[in-house]
Amino acid sequence: MNEAEKEYISPVGEGLYSANTGDWRTQKPEIDQETCSRCGTCLIYCPTSSVRRADGRFIINLSFCKGCGVCAAECPNGCIAMTREAKR
Amino acid sequence: MNALDLLAEREDMISPGISACVGCNVELTLRIVMKVLGPNTVLAIPPGCMGGVGVVGWNKRSGAKVPVFFPLLDNTASMLAGIRLAYDAKGKDANIVAFAGDGATVDAGFQALSGVAERGDRIIYICYDNEGYMNTGYQRSSSTSKGSWTSTTPVSKDGHGGKRQNGKDFPMIMAMHDIPYVATASPAYVPDLIRKVEEAMKVRDGLAYIHVYNPCLTGWGIRAEESISVARLAVKTRYFPLYEARRREFRITVPVPKPLPIENFTSRIKKFSHLGPEAIADLGKLAEDRYAFLQSLCRGKDNNA
Ligand code: SF4
Ligand code: SF4
Repeated sequence: MNEAEKEYISPVGEGLYSANTGDWRTQKPEIDQETCSRCGTCLIYCPTSSVRRADGRFIINLSFCKGCGVCAAECPNGCIAMTREAKR
Repeated sequence: MNALDLLAEREDMISPGISACVGCNVELTLRIVMKVLGPNTVLAIPPGCMGGVGVVGWNKRSGAKVPVFFPLLDNTASMLAGIRLAYDAKGKDANIVAFAGDGATVDAGFQALSGVAERGDRIIYICYDNEGYMNTGYQRSSSTSKGSWTSTTPVSKDGHGGKRQNGKDFPMIMAMHDIPYVATASPAYVPDLIRKVEEAMKVRDGLAYIHVYNPCLTGWGIRAEESISVARLAVKTRYFPLYEARRREFRITVPVPKPLPIENFTSRIKKFSHLGPEAIADLGKLAEDRYAFLQSLCRGKDNNA
């Protein structure tokens, strides 16, 4: 239990629930770092918070990305490509 | 802090893997709202999509990093009023927040919410309006737009049917309660949404209510990647205007001086696909009437374009 959890009367259970939503993906996004203007639009709109900013670059963490294509549709420079996931 | 820095730097208060539909803009809304609210928050999520996808918990685990409750569909606001009193009695402060769908807000939960508004209990109530009971199979609610196909307002093979009544103008109903803060918001206008949550957090003397319009991909029939663009079109066609009101002081926060034709919005949504030009024009007329009414409430302000 962390400090925040201890503040409350009953414990919050056994921990964080997390579904393996990365498994749902049928297509996967990839940012072309050459043409990316570093605007961050993809980070703002990714429903699963899968886009991260590191040293001013934007990168996609695929662990929980559902492959919705929102980032590719919203990117003003069209530099995110969606490609089919290999069958798992 | 600008919107991008806030979203890039703050901790995500929601589990990374919640089972909302692929591309769901309510999942996006919840993550953004919780990043703004931060860890000192007590969250209540009544039955509905966001309850169902694992945020309130599953198998002794919880999908949020803050205390989260699963109240009934009809008592969310009054339960939070009690939590506020308990916190006051203990001399503690926190954001006491509801994140509820339209069913739990405009239908079943309305009495409790109206009571909280009138009594002036200090809570933040956020409604994600996807126009129906989506996680139980797309039944209509009193927020559902006229003409919509839902599982309880079916459409015949020759294109007749759909909901016969207009949806309630619910944020306006809340504004008429004279509460300290009411706002409408959209997942397509993130800086506006963030600022409104921050304004709600500043309220000390009663209810802050935010109504977010969330087009439902699965229930309305929208392509996943168009999740944000359809939400944006609702604003650009004046179908869902973005405004805020402080005790009836109204202000349009995203003026739409040149609205796009309503077809730009409706044609992207399958639940309207059976509607003829007249029915679509009716929806456009409703949007114009409501926008004109809103402008009349903003009279005298310079941003009432
Ligand atoms: S495909 Fe969807 S979930 Fe994956 S990074 Fe893009 S917006 Fe996020
Ligand atoms: S939206 Fe496109 S241009 Fe902007 S940071 Fe993301 S990938 Fe780069």
